[in-house]
Amino acid sequence: MPIDPIYLDHAATTPVREEVFEAMKPFYGPRFGNPSSTHRWGREARAALDEARERVGRCLGARADEICFTSGGTEADNLAILGAWRALKPKGRTAVVTTPIEHKAILGAVHQAAQEGAEERFLEMTHDGVIDPASFDALVDDKVAVCTIMWVNNEIGSIQPVPELAAKAKQRGALVHTDAVQAFGKIRIDAQTQQFDFLTISGHKFGAPKGIGALFIRRGTHIEPLMHGGTQDRGRRPGTENVAAAVGLARAAELTLAECEAHCARIRKLRDKLEAGILAMIPDAVIHGRGAERAPHILNVSVPGTDSESLLMALDLRGIAASGGSACQSGSISPSHVLTAIGVRPDLASAAIRMSLGVLTTDQSIDRVIEVFPALVAKARQLTAAE
Amino acid sequence: MSGGVDSSVAAALLVEQGYDVVGATMKLFCHGEDVPDRPCCSLDSVNDARRVCEQLRIPHYVLNLESRFGHDVVDNFVEEYARGRTPIPCVRCNTFTKFRDFLKKADSIDARWIATGHYARVVDGELRRGVDENKDQTYFLWGIDRGVLSRMILPVGELDKAQTRARAHAMGLEVIAEKPESQEICFVPDGDYTRILEQRLPADAPALSRGPIVNSSGSIVGEHNGFARYTIGQRRGVPGGFAMPMYVIAIRPEQRAVVIGTRDELLGGGIIAREVNWLLDAPSVGDRVSVRVRHRSPLAMAEIVRLDGDEIELALDEPVSAITPGQSAVFYDGERVLGGGFIEAARRSRSHLPVLAA
Repeated sequence: MPIDPIYLDHAATTPVREEVFEAMKPFYGPRFGNPSSTHRWGREARAALDEARERVGRCLGARADEICFTSGGTEADNLAILGAWRALKPKGRTAVVTTPIEHKAILGAVHQAAQEGAEERFLEMTHDGVIDPASFDALVDDKVAVCTIMWVNNEIGSIQPVPELAAKAKQRGALVHTDAVQAFGKIRIDAQTQQFDFLTISGHKFGAPKGIGALFIRRGTHIEPLMHGGTQDRGRRPGTENVAAAVGLARAAELTLAECEAHCARIRKLRDKLEAGILAMIPDAVIHGRGAERAPHILNVSVPGTDSESLLMALDLRGIAASGGSACQSGSISPSHVLTAIGVRPDLASAAIRMSLGVLTTDQSIDRVIEVFPALVAKARQLTAAE
Repeated sequence: MSGGVDSSVAAALLVEQGYDVVGATMKLFCHGEDVPDRPCCSLDSVNDARRVCEQLRIPHYVLNLESRFGHDVVDNFVEEYARGRTPIPCVRCNTFTKFRDFLKKADSIDARWIATGHYARVVDGELRRGVDENKDQTYFLWGIDRGVLSRMILPVGELDKAQTRARAHAMGLEVIAEKPESQEICFVPDGDYTRILEQRLPADAPALSRGPIVNSSGSIVGEHNGFARYTIGQRRGVPGGFAMPMYVIAIRPEQRAVVIGTRDELLGGGIIAREVNWLLDAPSVGDRVSVRVRHRSPLAMAEIVRLDGDEIELALDEPVSAITPGQSAVFYDGERVLGGGFIEAARRSRSHLPVLAA
């Protein structure tokens, strides 16, 4: 294996931060109590959980009771969409609006709502991966129960104007959910001034462990729980709470926000350098979403005459970890639904490489990628030309 | 790497020999709900292959060859049955998918060799039968490009199956050491190929429609529910009440007819094969070869009586049973694989009389 592996897949997951791990440890040790118990162990755990809830809330401009801990982004997305749809269905609001570039957790949940009678409405996207405002105005009407829009796209990084869209949708009486899994720590989120009703975050994208996320649920918003059993989290999410992970999530969220400005400036500079470096060596490389406002950590590039599968394999063998379209369960790669939805040519869609930067990204690692990537591309194109 | 014992041991042996090995599993069809767990190609198998590679400390990749495989192998499989033939998809998978498309992936990472878990050997640039006669897989390998031989490494071809399993245990590959054989066609759920045909052919396709069962003199003796459900030599679905056991001896798609006959009528004295591919220099008319007409059937001696482009005709020394259009005829000189072709027709007798069995 190469000596110095380079991890360029922070949008997939990030390492657990040392401070986070430390903060969690006591809850795997002496403070192991069940927050529902009435004795001292229980009280101690309950206090830690409530505090974590408060701290996560503060990071989002929300109150503690508006934070529901979940197993991660997928559960939070499902809880918001299906929970809200099932609660609103009897009230005659029958449509669910979303974009075709959402994460599969959203598309799957919306599809489930459709199975239960909802009308699915998909917003039109521009070629840069931004919602067409006219389509939004046309589709978000008084029939809409839930409107769900991802804040930052996980594959190309394009940013949707969620605060404006949320305000509009609220005027029309819809509930608004936003998948902010890639947005947290990159975009200012403030539930006090922004009008979304639900917002999803996922811990492992910013230094907390896998298996913990949170759903912001605006006070007074009724949802049907997905699971049934206990009364934990006001009955919205029964099951003994993952205290250690909730504490970890709170710690990671605070650290992320504290460092947000410096971190974003740093990785934006590196991302732009990487992009410029690739374009200088490969002038016909296509950067997806380039015309849109983009989050600072994602670069998605297609080089004509290459394919993601071979290129990712070659990159990995040289120690560079990036990702392709959506990896399926078996681990093979199929063309991304996001790129397809924004009208990228099939041959380019199946050549897409996503590089996502983060804590592990250094100036030297970007230099090396700028050196290695064009060389691998040149080789891949030679093989294509020889066919 | 299918996640089975053969390819896992092949990888492990290469690692042991000091090669820089990269593991790869081909994803050939959708792991959907209609293909439940199978010994090969299922999701669990991909996971097994990945685990073996992790244990061997080599990288592992899943390569999506679904659309090419669908076109080159699955579509052809369906077309062949629709034409009244009995296809052998593993041959086309080796020819087009494994040793062409998959090989291109090897090129993209500068891999000089391609290794598989086949029971066959490459010696001095020649393809030879595996040491384990029972497991020999050269029957499926005759179609590959001759130029690929120099890049092929077949590490388990020197072993028999028991030795392979023993090596798996010895190398600590307990995950896969006792996995069952995959005998059936990987993309056919439950081994019932007619389900694939029903999914892919129109409901009124002749191959799946009622037609006559006739005897060799043309008299109708029964009815069948689609000739694609029959293969040469089959007894199931053949009407009874005859003095002797009856077998399917031919399929005549243009009449939608399934022809039945006695064991004697199943015998063929000659073979015509097409799409012939040579892995050694092509022999000449008059040369003697041994030939295999079905996986695991005994070798038969034959003389080449005609060579015409990619078509060949052989006269068999002794008649052979159930020579089936769509299956392969593979030619050998001792252990060496000369080449092969797809059986087009059997000749009833050894002579050149134009009495075709199909």
